[in-house]
Amino acid sequence: MLDRLDQLEREAEEAITAASDIEELRALRVRFLGKKGALTALLRGMSQLPPGQRPAVGRKANDLRDRLEELLRQKEAAVREAASGARWEKERIDVTLPGSPVLLGRKHPLTLILDEIKGIFTGLGFQTARGPEIESEYYNFEALNMPSDHPARDMQDSFYVSPQFLLRTHTSPVQVRTMELQAPRLPVRIIAPGKVFRRDDDATHSPMFHQVEGLAVDRGVTFADLKGTLLLFARAMFGERQQIRLRPSFFPFTEPSAEVDISCIMCGGSGCRVCSHGGWLEILGAGMVHPRVLEISGYDPQAVTGFAFGMGVERIAMLKYGIDDMRLLFSNDLRFLRQF
Amino acid sequence: MLLVSYNWLKEYVDPGISPRELADRLALAGIEVESVEPFRPDLPGVVVGSITAIEPFPGSEKLLLARVNPGGPEVSIVCGARNIAVGQKVPLALPGSELPGRGRITQATIQGVVSSGMLCSAEELGLALGPAEAGILILDPYAVPGTPAGRLLGFDDYILALALTPNRADCLGMLGVAYEVAALTGSRVKLPPAQPPESEKEINEAARVTVLDPDLCPRYTARVINGVKTGAAPLWMQLRLIKAGIRPINVIVDITNYVMLEYGQPLHAFDYDLLRNGEIIVRRGRPGETLITLDGLERSLDSDVLVIAGKAGPVGLAGVMGGENTEIGPATRRVLLEAARFNPAVIRRTARRFNLPSEASQRFERGVNPEWVPAAQNRAARLMAELGGGEVLRGMIDADASPARPRLISVRPHRINEILGVKIPVEEVVSILERLDFTVERGSGRTLAITVPLRRGDIFLEEDVVEEVARLYGYEKIPVTLPRGELVENFAAPDQRVEALARQTLTASGFFEAITYAFINPAQLEKLGLPPGDPRRAAIPLQNPLSEEQSVMRTTLLPGLLKVIQHNFNFREMNQLFYEIGTVYFSRRLPLDELPAEKTSLALAATGFAPEANWYTPSRPAGFFTVKGALEALFRRLGLHRVDFVPAKLPLTHPTRAARVFVGGEEAGFLGELHPETAGKWDFPQAVTVAELDLSVLTAAADLVPRVAPLPRYPAARRDIAVVSSGEIPAQRFEQAIFEAGGGLVDRVALFDLYEGEQIPAGKRSLAFTITYRRAEGTLTEQEINAAQERIEQALSGMGAALRRR
Repeated sequence: MLDRLDQLEREAEEAITAASDIEELRALRVRFLGKKGALTALLRGMSQLPPGQRPAVGRKANDLRDRLEELLRQKEAAVREAASGARWEKERIDVTLPGSPVLLGRKHPLTLILDEIKGIFTGLGFQTARGPEIESEYYNFEALNMPSDHPARDMQDSFYVSPQFLLRTHTSPVQVRTMELQAPRLPVRIIAPGKVFRRDDDATHSPMFHQVEGLAVDRGVTFADLKGTLLLFARAMFGERQQIRLRPSFFPFTEPSAEVDISCIMCGGSGCRVCSHGGWLEILGAGMVHPRVLEISGYDPQAVTGFAFGMGVERIAMLKYGIDDMRLLFSNDLRFLRQF
Repeated sequence: MLLVSYNWLKEYVDPGISPRELADRLALAGIEVESVEPFRPDLPGVVVGSITAIEPFPGSEKLLLARVNPGGPEVSIVCGARNIAVGQKVPLALPGSELPGRGRITQATIQGVVSSGMLCSAEELGLALGPAEAGILILDPYAVPGTPAGRLLGFDDYILALALTPNRADCLGMLGVAYEVAALTGSRVKLPPAQPPESEKEINEAARVTVLDPDLCPRYTARVINGVKTGAAPLWMQLRLIKAGIRPINVIVDITNYVMLEYGQPLHAFDYDLLRNGEIIVRRGRPGETLITLDGLERSLDSDVLVIAGKAGPVGLAGVMGGENTEIGPATRRVLLEAARFNPAVIRRTARRFNLPSEASQRFERGVNPEWVPAAQNRAARLMAELGGGEVLRGMIDADASPARPRLISVRPHRINEILGVKIPVEEVVSILERLDFTVERGSGRTLAITVPLRRGDIFLEEDVVEEVARLYGYEKIPVTLPRGELVENFAAPDQRVEALARQTLTASGFFEAITYAFINPAQLEKLGLPPGDPRRAAIPLQNPLSEEQSVMRTTLLPGLLKVIQHNFNFREMNQLFYEIGTVYFSRRLPLDELPAEKTSLALAATGFAPEANWYTPSRPAGFFTVKGALEALFRRLGLHRVDFVPAKLPLTHPTRAARVFVGGEEAGFLGELHPETAGKWDFPQAVTVAELDLSVLTAAADLVPRVAPLPRYPAARRDIAVVSSGEIPAQRFEQAIFEAGGGLVDRVALFDLYEGEQIPAGKRSLAFTITYRRAEGTLTEQEINAAQERIEQALSGMGAALRRR
């Protein structure tokens, strides 16, 4: 009986190995394992065996069934694989080919920086205000505490379009325009981005450039608040580890006034070529709104205080993106713009 | 800008810290120091030599042989200069040393005689001394031979370049800087001796001053010094002037400059004998009068200019520049010395008008210290006696119309803390102000009565005092806080949102953003093809442009954008998509009598192919329909539904490839291919399509909040239809006809094919549409769809189109 099982195993193995398609395998399954198959037939004769041999034969028969099942399954998988392999090969694509081109332009780097600045200050509750680019002498100078013949007017060489109108030399006129509209309501919290114009043209000056003005007026606004706001800005723009330094300075429309430096973004403050080995980079001017400016704009300087700041967008873009010539920003050269 | 010699400064105040530390302290107190550099690089190998003997050079009339003690074994030097004498101390460049203008010095043999180095002139050492200093530089007779010459001449001194803000006029002189340094370092200021020795003769017998316009000249002082010599100033003085960036001239002029550098008070010396009878009149200029100033230029005067005049006419532009007719020269023996105060505004106007920003005008414009007018006068007279050999007449003429009084300011210490956000004790406030040389009295209650020294003309208000306290207290010690207060509404205005959406959409459509100058060349407007009457030709001109290229304010963004296209063509970028959003400027009248209208404009330009050639998608010309597609995407993004593109003949575009764009019934701008003539004027190698729209029209019509319609509940059916028609019938007409004939069952019409060519008669084109049928209530039956399709076919046939069946 055991010998016949061995023989059956050899026979089945041979047949399965030789099989080449699914149909053949199905027939083999019936032939060997089906209800009328060879193994079943063989087991039917088990009753004739002496009872002592039956367990051993039963075990062997069961093992054989399991083994044949496994062989059939493997063979079937192999046959299927072989059949579809040809189709996969036919359908192969080169995944290293470039993707379908998507037409995508770029925003100008100055817009990117402006958006970032606006985002930071909008988050702090500053509204965005605007003012005309051609301004009156009154808003550009006089209302900002720079009467005619004031030497501070030399700080900004201006383009005139008529005796009393000029291209604004800074965004500060928007301070006065905004306060005039809003007085006496409090608080005033605005930023004013925009183009400004000065008669300068070289690698570090452009006759047209962009500024963002900031203004906060309320009861109890302090110089310490100015420092806090600017520190927060510097960190949001240039990274969490930024430090700022305020140095006393002079603007006719702020008192006290400050120039604001950030720790050098290249060396972190240890000194390098970018910061002329000083460790600091000047990025903006700021101060407490001059009482005369408050007064002219309709607020009582004894009751309210305010801070203001003005930053050059080009300067920040140059620092942030490593641009060494300001003229590149106005070249609109595609080789430059594609890098953003 | 003031160049401060550290060693010179030490004569008035001892900072007790190094030049670099001092620079840092000044910077953090608000005096910007642009640089701190040694005066000159050291001159190794150039030493003080003592001339022990001078011998003729064998066989030469021009040369001499000098025996020189260089602080060691005597050397022989061949020398061509004639101004040397035995016993003098001179700079000796030993072999191996290098001179700024001459390179390396070697031992030379001249006609058999060994010369072990070179005796140096000032120029050879790199010093531009006065014209009198030709030949070998003669040094201090007490200099020790062998001493490095650079050290003797103060090359190792440090120069601090102060970049002064306009308020700190007080620091335009060494003494003012000394007071600032004293305040910062806690040291004391030592003033230089200023009382001149006086002769018996009274000045009143020699000179008379009349100020006719005391509002423009509040104080005028004069002294007369007789018997002066006008040779070179002593070397130490010349060196100090050079360190301050002023070229030495002669001892008299040098003294006026030197004292100006000390006190910040400009002085002027007239040749007394060229003034008639010592008569000085300070008055306005008169029409027709002229004056040749010291720079040799003739200036025409009028009543806007303040002049110093003699009996015979003007002798100087007050506070700006003296006249040639009374210039100090070699023949000058008597000097009338002026120290005055002038109205800053009149000086500023005069200096600007004549384009003469001088050391003097710079200081008068910012205001000088009234107290130091006579002090500087006396100091200069004393130096003229000491160094110029002069005899100072007794007394000083002092026409002082309105004696200046120190300013009194009442300051509330609590206010200082409120503004700064600090808690500085009153005692510290007082001590800071006293360090600044302010007098402080504890007033009644909580105020301090502060007297400001006259030097500080920039301190008027309590807030000015707050800044003084803050900068000496140290900005770095002020804490860091954030503003507190009420919340305010903070929404972007509609125009700002539309701009942002436009940037977003156009960038996503493949367009690059350009930012160009707001001023353009007016010739470009003509080059654009705009006819003379076009409002865009009436650009506002700048009165003082930097160049013709940037001389009028733009009325259109197109010239700027076309320049961008041109620029990129130059770098072989043939495929370009650009847009710009910016202001354009229109005047109602020229010259301007009110602020011009500023409009925000959007311009686009496209050329070449988009996308660029690639293996996957076909590349198409970047032309009219590229730009139109981007605009349509933008209009959809802005919720604009009523948009029309109407064929139009426009000045700058191709006659049959342009459209006016209407949004919400209003004309927003145009779109079109650049006229071939215009493109030719710009030298464009290929077609360029442009568009320009007024963003305010888009903003007015924009509907930024989508409202959602219910999703269709019943299925749609699609049918295609193709018609062959004359190209003159606009495609949009067919589309409209399909909607109309469909009787409300047409949901969408899409033009999926346009064909012109072989299978179609010439001059005709085939348009193929996919029509989507749908009804909101209920599924459409086959019969209903067929009936609608029938109606549509009839309608299109009625328009003169032939149905094309497959």
